[in-house]
Amino acid sequence: MKKNKILKKIKLRFTLNGEPVELETLPNKRLLDLLRDDLNLTGTKEGCSIGECGACTVIVNDKAVNSCLMLAGEINGSAIITIEGISQNGNLHPLQENFLKFGAVQCGFCIPGMILSAYALLNKNRRPDEETIKEAIAGNLCRCTGYKQIIEAIKNTKL
Amino acid sequence: MIPKLNYVAPLSLKRTLKILSENKKKAKILAGGTDILPGFHINSKRFRDIELLVDIKKIGELKLIKEFKDRVEIGACVTFSQICESDTFKKFFPLLVKSAETVGSVQIRNRATVVGNCVNNAPCADSVPPLLVYDAKIEIQSLKRKRVISLQKFLIKPYSTALKKNEVVTKIIIPKPDPDFKGDFYKLGRRRAVAISRISLALLLKKKAGIIDELRIASGAVTPIGARLHELEKFAKDKKADSSTFKELSILMGKKVLQITGLRWSSEYKLPVLQQVFYQLLEKVNEEE
Ligand code: FES
Ligand code: FES
Repeated sequence: MKKNKILKKIKLRFTLNGEPVELETLPNKRLLDLLRDDLNLTGTKEGCSIGECGACTVIVNDKAVNSCLMLAGEINGSAIITIEGISQNGNLHPLQENFLKFGAVQCGFCIPGMILSAYALLNKNRRPDEETIKEAIAGNLCRCTGYKQIIEAIKNTKL
Repeated sequence: MIPKLNYVAPLSLKRTLKILSENKKKAKILAGGTDILPGFHINSKRFRDIELLVDIKKIGELKLIKEFKDRVEIGACVTFSQICESDTFKKFFPLLVKSAETVGSVQIRNRATVVGNCVNNAPCADSVPPLLVYDAKIEIQSLKRKRVISLQKFLIKPYSTALKKNEVVTKIIIPKPDPDFKGDFYKLGRRRAVAISRISLALLLKKKAGIIDELRIASGAVTPIGARLHELEKFAKDKKADSSTFKELSILMGKKVLQITGLRWSSEYKLPVLQQVFYQLLEKVNEEE
């Protein structure tokens, strides 16, 4: 690394899974690393690091995004939801229930991202058809399941 | 790994321009970030010298799509998702919507911006061919002046544009086309989602009594940067809109692209595909009433 650059810490305020958070972090930290390293929320996974696999998907202001493609600073003032935040009073979210019921989980690595993509979809569109579901999870790669069970699980989830 | 750099998110355009003029060499604008962050990850030369990222997403006016009587404006932070959902764009610029729908994935479209797509100027930039056939213009602002240039002039060569270090693209301005234009956008990728285009084509056709009054053609991915094919457009003018003209045009298309790119290892399979999809696209658009 050339020159000794002085990094100015940045102050962030946002809500995380419904709770207000205030913290300071480094300006060159990705949202993914903020979640996993600073906040210990390791449900968000890192696969490709370049926006192709969707394992790092989280929800920012109701939209699914790749947290590997965002800097921490960009979420200032936003509402973030991670996989840790979708269970309700200690019960699994209906999507999570159905992923289990339909055998949509194998190694599990893609699942947090997959579920959050489905979560963003269902919050916008309660009864998506199969094409819409496929489009919504097109940015989430799964090397295990072949997608069929995942699509079934989503299709059968009623919020 | 993100290199050592600082991050600021100014609240106004003025402040942004000030920061840029004070940090000319080292600062870079951050909008969607979907090109810059992967660029850091692969340690791309293009982004190695950045010391300061200037996030412009806190500037409200840059996030808007604005419709006027004769034109529509896309602010610098408007995402592909916004384009996909915009009734104005569906009505007046369906080719741009179609291309926006093919960009990356939902997650990418929620972040990536149309302006960023142009500023990055990758050969495969999906929104560029439609914007070119719609005669889009780019508005550029620096502390001292504002200038508007055509997108075509703005795009210089792969990954390079007419944008200077102290300038920001504030918006894309697209004139509403004559409603007699019919058109389509075509993209070929290796797979359906998160695919880099291998071939993309946009065309607009206006006929008068079966005669081609105006044909606009732009290509992406097969040419070094998105480009209008003016020679072909001129050739088509006042010819009959029929299969034999389209065949001639397709042959010309192959020749033209070969002339621009030179013979490549991929030419042997790519050119016939390009000619064929171009031909089919012409036929399809011609059949639309
Ligand atoms: S780790 Fe973010 S998309 Fe793969
Ligand atoms: S369950 Fe293993 S990658 Fe999807």
